[in-house]
Amino acid sequence: MATITVDGKEIYANDNALLIEELLANGINIPHFCYHPSLGKDGNCRMCMVEIEGKKRPQIACDTPVKDGMIIRTKGENIARVKRQILELELINHPVDCPICDQAGECSLQNYYMDVGLYDSRLDTAKNKKRKHVDLGANVMLDQDRCVLCTRCVRFTKNITKTHELGVVVRNDHSYISTFPGTKLSNPYAMNVIDLCPVGALTSKDFRFHQRVWFLKPEVAICDGCSRGCSLLVDHNKEKYKDDVVYRYRPKFNKNVNGYFICDYGRLSYKKENENRLLNAYIRGMESEFEYAILKIERLLKRYGPKTLFLVSPTLSLEEIYRVRTLAHKLDAAINGFDDNFDEDFKDDMLRQSDKTPNRKTLKFLAINDSKEDLLRDLKGKEFVLLIGRDDIQIIKEMGYDGSIGVMNYRDFKEKEKIDIVIPIVSHTSRQGTFINCDNYMQFSSCEIQKNIQALKVLEFVETILNDGRVTCEDVWEGGLEDEEFLGDIKFTQIKSNSMKIGR
Amino acid sequence: MGIKIVPRYGKSFKDKLYLPAIFAGMKTTMSHFAKNLSDTSNIKTECYPEMKPQDITQRYRGVHRLTHRDDGSVRCVACFMCATACPADCIFIEGKERRDGIDEKMPAVFKIDLLECVFCGGCVEACPCDAIRMDTGIFSFVAKRRKDFVLDKEQLLAHKSFEGEK
Repeated sequence: MATITVDGKEIYANDNALLIEELLANGINIPHFCYHPSLGKDGNCRMCMVEIEGKKRPQIACDTPVKDGMIIRTKGENIARVKRQILELELINHPVDCPICDQAGECSLQNYYMDVGLYDSRLDTAKNKKRKHVDLGANVMLDQDRCVLCTRCVRFTKNITKTHELGVVVRNDHSYISTFPGTKLSNPYAMNVIDLCPVGALTSKDFRFHQRVWFLKPEVAICDGCSRGCSLLVDHNKEKYKDDVVYRYRPKFNKNVNGYFICDYGRLSYKKENENRLLNAYIRGMESEFEYAILKIERLLKRYGPKTLFLVSPTLSLEEIYRVRTLAHKLDAAINGFDDNFDEDFKDDMLRQSDKTPNRKTLKFLAINDSKEDLLRDLKGKEFVLLIGRDDIQIIKEMGYDGSIGVMNYRDFKEKEKIDIVIPIVSHTSRQGTFINCDNYMQFSSCEIQKNIQALKVLEFVETILNDGRVTCEDVWEGGLEDEEFLGDIKFTQIKSNSMKIGR
Repeated sequence: MGIKIVPRYGKSFKDKLYLPAIFAGMKTTMSHFAKNLSDTSNIKTECYPEMKPQDITQRYRGVHRLTHRDDGSVRCVACFMCATACPADCIFIEGKERRDGIDEKMPAVFKIDLLECVFCGGCVEACPCDAIRMDTGIFSFVAKRRKDFVLDKEQLLAHKSFEGEK
């Protein structure tokens, strides 16, 4: 450990670590473009200048190792002047088109310029014009004018995905980012360059011009695209006179699960929250009153009792599956979680997993059968099957089942007339819940977007039947889930703020 | 906090009669009547709507308009600055890609709900492109249905400055 003094305050830092890492870790604001924790230092942007006592000139913090007894100044007129000069150089060829730039509001260049910028331009020569709309492929749009050539995107394709699609071409102030002639950006993680880009040079074609970022409200959730369960920020907004809409997913840093990135498949999976939603309850294909349908399903459960099979989906949360299991045990009914949503082609060696459901591990931990043979056995003698969180009735049809079927799902589907009762439930980002990923990391998804859609929460549905007042995740944890053996001594308050590994 | 005692008038016999006060009032009314009748040119009243007001100044905030570029196309780039600044939340914009090479972005929808608008002029101040102005001089807007008070992009573009310039 080393002790360094920053702006008159002593902080403890790791010896020989990069100075910028330690400063950022201690919450000290250091402007930077080219440095990124996942990509390391590059030293090309010169933005992270700090004054170090004993050195003649300001030094870049991203390429200076920490030494014991260093005295550093990050503020003051001298350092502000240096930053102002660097920013002036960055802006010589920048188009300053913030009104039409999607990055405005979360742009490093904009923020730094607001802090220490030179507000009157001294430039009287024409700006270098480059290409403003370049479709790099994979939903990434490049604006070469706005680029500050920090090469984060280039280093991402070089070091992280190792696909080497991007490079810097042409020299000095004519340089720009480009793909090689005839090729496109094409890797399953390509859209991460949009988050990496500190300015508006790389923007998402999917999000382009849909919403200004300062209107968006970010909430924390878990990706339900595969069993990796990446941490997400869900950006949503409710415009006046409109329903709440999810506009994009962004990765949230989680060192245990996904690091700084998510895959493009997960990033674009936000669309299912907005589109093709089940909006009505149906009884044998006929639209029905919502409350009536709930009463009807309660009656069906009462009538069939032990002849019921709950077919739960591994996309449901730990709390939901636990409560449905409690209900099944009370009715003396069977419960099964068979789901064959596997895709071996989807798997890679970065994040993506072949199991495309986010919570299959929970079935294992709660000792719920999830194999095909178990489902065949469980189906015998059953007269009512209730599918929760899924609508794949062909699975049980193929097994020769022809009794009553109930479906509770958020997605609209065809041939509802073949099903006795259909009830819409809320989608993934509209309810809280805990998910256990492929590496046994348990994460809490706190995102709970209120949509103007009449839909049921599974926890509320189970509560109306069990009638024990346990509606929220906290109630469920306190009402017995905490005593489950596999959780050890993990409590709800802990899981709410941190991801935790089950078992040692 | 101090308490101010307000004297109550009207207790005297003269006040209770009412007639002296009525005649005093009539005296003022009749003196004005006689003065205006003898010289009609000095009457301040305007015969609206036959006569239109002549005292609308440059700073008067009338109904909004969207301005044009030199080539006649819409100046607005749908940056949402006006919608962000609006305290009444009455500006509804949807952006879209502009493909004519003049700019990158333009509004697909630009609506202002005049019934919600408080005519503060915040949108005009916020606009970085001088694309929205309130210099039309339109102070009266009438419609039969609520939705007719929501002006769309075409209506806002059709409004002219009251001084006649573009």
